[in-house]
Amino acid sequence: MAVEMSMPILVVDDYKTMIRIIRNLLTQIGFENIDEASDGTEAFEKMKKQKYGLVISDWNMEPMTGYELLQRVRADETTKNVPFIMVTAESKTENVIAAKKAGVNNYIVKPFNAGTLKAKMVAVIGDF
Amino acid sequence: MPAAEVAARVRESLANLKANDLKDAQVMEVLTLAQQLTDTMQLFFGSLDQSIHKEFVYIADYIARTRTEISKLRPNDIKEQRIPTAGAELEAVVTDTERATEAIMAEAEALLDSKPDDLAAYKAQVDDAMMRVIEACSFQDLSGQRVSKVVESLRHVEKRVSRFAATMGVHDAEADEDEIAETERKKKLHLNGPAIGGPEVGQDAVDELIASDLDQNAIDALFD
Repeated sequence: MAVEMSMPILVVDDYKTMIRIIRNLLTQIGFENIDEASDGTEAFEKMKKQKYGLVISDWNMEPMTGYELLQRVRADETTKNVPFIMVTAESKTENVIAAKKAGVNNYIVKPFNAGTLKAKMVAVIGDF
Repeated sequence: MPAAEVAARVRESLANLKANDLKDAQVMEVLTLAQQLTDTMQLFFGSLDQSIHKEFVYIADYIARTRTEISKLRPNDIKEQRIPTAGAELEAVVTDTERATEAIMAEAEALLDSKPDDLAAYKAQVDDAMMRVIEACSFQDLSGQRVSKVVESLRHVEKRVSRFAATMGVHDAEADEDEIAETERKKKLHLNGPAIGGPEVGQDAVDELIASDLDQNAIDALFD
């Protein structure tokens, strides 16, 4: 099934600049319907109100981290199937395994480039 | 009144009593015993005075040495100058970095949004934008100098604290409850932060881990 380019994507990061970078990359790729949240709590509240086609989240945020957000998303009946990509500077093996164990769909290590972001998105939601 | 002086007075009183021509043998025996006891006590209190005196001299020396070491630590300089200055420098680094990022991002976004009809005009627009990007990158020089000052301050504090700890024989106390709780929380949430010198696990290795079919036992083993 072809990816709907108008699908809403939620970008979660506590650094406005990183949100802006990801938003620009997504726009260049062709996605226009981009929403944002500054931590896990805000993101989950938004996910309970709207259905997103993809969540791209940082790990290290306060008060709710991206890892906690992932766990909560997977534990909730209404959000458990939303594709989830972690984009983070947390680069220890234990982080990757913990994310995989929690149900992450893909994992991008910062710093990253547009090619990596697109490749991981294709792997998660399909080609576009 | 020192113990030795008390003992001397008691002995003097006993000598006076004996000199009063007492004929009662029992009283004389008691007085003789009391004198012997007093002599003994004098020796005891004398030695006690000396050891207490030595203890107080040691404590006074220790306090004086501690005061000297604390003075050499220059805590007021660290508290009022070094740390606040280092904090201000780091805040300036963050501000400079944000300002430069904002400038570079704005130029990039403007170019991405532009719809060039005239190639010559577009070339001029790109050239101007690139010059502003290059100018914005000058923050790196200032940031480098600021960070060097912070590193210097940290080394200064480290040197003084290390010297103080070594001289005073200070051993680390247990972390307080808040610190232990925060450490546990970070461990539980795998909050390690960026690795120094680049990612500990590169994107290729991450991809392999994500793609691997680790069963639950293999995953659990990685956390043991």
